[in-house]
Amino acid sequence: MNLSVKIGNATFANPVTVASGTFGHAEKYYNLEEVKKLGALVPKTVTRHAQTGNPPARIIETASGMLNAIGIENPGIDGFMAQKLPSLQKIGVPLMVSILGHTDDEFVQIVEKLNGQSGIAALELNLSCPNLGHKVLVAQDPQAISRLVKRIKRVAKFPIVTKLSPNVTDISEMALAAQDAGADAVSLVNTFTAMVIDIEKRRSVLGNVTGGLSGPAIRPIAVQMVYRVARRVKIPVVGMGGIMTAKDALEFLIAGATMVAVGTANFVNPRAPLDVLEGIKEYMKKYKMKDIKEVIGSIHL
Amino acid sequence: MDKIQSFYPVVSNQKLSPCFYRLCFDAPQIVKTVQPGQFVHIRVHDGLEPFFRRPFSVYRAQKHVEIFYEAIGPGTEILTKKKKGDLLDVLGPLGTPFRLPSEDVEDVVMIAGGIGVAPFLILSDVLKARKCRLILLYGGRTAGHVYDMKEFKKNGCQIHVATDDGSIGVKGRVSKLFSKIPCNPETTMIYTCGPHAMMAAVQDFARQKRMSGQAACEEVMACALGACLGCSVKTTSGYQTCCYDGPAFELGEVIF
Ligand SMILES: Cc1cc2nc3c(=O)[nH]c(=O)nc-3n(C[C@H](O)[C@H](O)[C@H](O)COP(=O)(O)OP(=O)(O)OC[C@H]3O[C@@H](n4cnc5c(N)ncnc54)[C@H](O)[C@@H]3O)c2cc1C
Ligand SMILES: Cc1cc2nc3c(=O)[nH]c(=O)nc-3n(C[C@H](O)[C@H](O)[C@H](O)COP(=O)(O)O)c2cc1C
Ligand code: FES
Repeated sequence: MNLSVKIGNATFANPVTVASGTFGHAEKYYNLEEVKKLGALVPKTVTRHAQTGNPPARIIETASGMLNAIGIENPGIDGFMAQKLPSLQKIGVPLMVSILGHTDDEFVQIVEKLNGQSGIAALELNLSCPNLGHKVLVAQDPQAISRLVKRIKRVAKFPIVTKLSPNVTDISEMALAAQDAGADAVSLVNTFTAMVIDIEKRRSVLGNVTGGLSGPAIRPIAVQMVYRVARRVKIPVVGMGGIMTAKDALEFLIAGATMVAVGTANFVNPRAPLDVLEGIKEYMKKYKMKDIKEVIGSIHL
Repeated sequence: MDKIQSFYPVVSNQKLSPCFYRLCFDAPQIVKTVQPGQFVHIRVHDGLEPFFRRPFSVYRAQKHVEIFYEAIGPGTEILTKKKKGDLLDVLGPLGTPFRLPSEDVEDVVMIAGGIGVAPFLILSDVLKARKCRLILLYGGRTAGHVYDMKEFKKNGCQIHVATDDGSIGVKGRVSKLFSKIPCNPETTMIYTCGPHAMMAAVQDFARQKRMSGQAACEEVMACALGACLGCSVKTTSGYQTCCYDGPAFELGEVIF
């Protein structure tokens, strides 16, 4: 059975990975033999300088999901390379390093620091960053996406995955902008901007007032977005949003995703990524498929 | 994928008072390694609502692992329905345990509010072998909320109780009991767990008397593995995760 997939010149043993910000402290808590079975690992987004994150409360559960407003707490690229990267490299699973700059220059500086590091298969651009001089985020402006991706493609030694926000009118326009600028893949979706109010205090529950909705609550919308994007672009799509089980992941693959990422489910069931991988294999066995490509984009219309 | 996730059979699940329950499950791996102040993260059902797991301090780890819990919402309500033989999906033991007192400490004072008493039975189980004196100051809403003092007594603890309505012990807040604390910075160590306002009062008192201690914090948790960075506690050295850097912190370092 061939489960391997490609993004740019990078090959992954199988299509299952974890979503940025949902996987950590592998060496302490995880059975590394099991982690090694995954196709790729995506660490928490890293920025140019360390960020302390948002004031609490940062998370709250909702019907079939959760809101988060972590504020990309991270040690910055230098701290990441000193403290986190070595142990991630040691695991041996190809890394897709998620990065965010508050300016295009910062993005480039981060890329230059990562160029030449071993164990990295691709870079994921988190575009949920301010678009200087505009009211919207880079992820919400096709011209800003195009400008940034072109600039990064000129310096990056790795394939570039552009992570798209669902908080737009037409996500496929953003995917096309990324593709035309040279992105090697797009990943979607990031979280949906959302809010929960404490009616006794008449305050937003989250310290940051708004946050991002993730988990099974968003899955059908995410599947639709992946389907729409996969039909419009030629580059691979990494699908995510509420995947808890293999059945969920298969919906994304059949809709056209080349890889799938398990995010919020890790918090409820740390085995979820492995269960997803095993379930995909069983499904292929059941339908006598020999190659994951027989699943990807196989939706009947 | 996780070396600390397992399914353990429930041994018993007893209602102790109108609001408190004690659940025991058979988890030899946890019994072997757990330290006072650590917790377990339980998936109370396979459904999607409530969505998160629920964290509980390890109350005792002798033959079985015991948790002491208050039914206050949908998650704990589901937990009350667990019966002998049911399998519990548990992550644990998790978190940074209490720093234990040095050999010079003669008086260990545990100050708890409500269900915050949970991490102290296992602490007294571990400390009773030492020569130090164990003192428990306990604040609850009513007599029905003051449980289970019998076990603490068996461990040789001196117990002082305050209730909001005076139905047992002194009427008022637990701070009314601070006069019972032997205040010697070299030989007294304080442990506290409970509502923020109570722990803040304990911190103030300890600071005035220059005593050191530990606070067990509580925050809403998603992963409980230090991955999501959702359970931040504000400390003098910035935000720290309650689940990974805590739940036990130096009392003086938490910013309540
Ligand atoms: C480290 C730690 C140890 C704890 N130990 C105990 C214990 O020994 N005994 C006990 O009875 N309770 C303990 N708690 C609190 C317990 O986790 C909550 O009471 C429980 O999650 C409530 O769930 P619910 O669905 O019944 O109520 P909800 O209606 O969901 O919540 C009631 C209250 O619990 C808090 N809460 C809800 N979800 C979580 C969560 N995932 N993590 C933390 N707090 C939450 C909420 O802020 C709310 O104030 C502990 C909490 C933490 C963080
Ligand atoms: C607690 C939390 C933290 C996250 N942090 C990041 C992050 O740092 N960078 C990023 O690109 N996405 C982040 N995400 C978004 C996820 O990677 C993913 O896109 C989203 O949650 C949808 O997938 P899911 O429903 O499977 O979680 C985070 C999500 C959660 C729940
Ligand atoms: S609950 Fe996820 S970091 Fe603590």
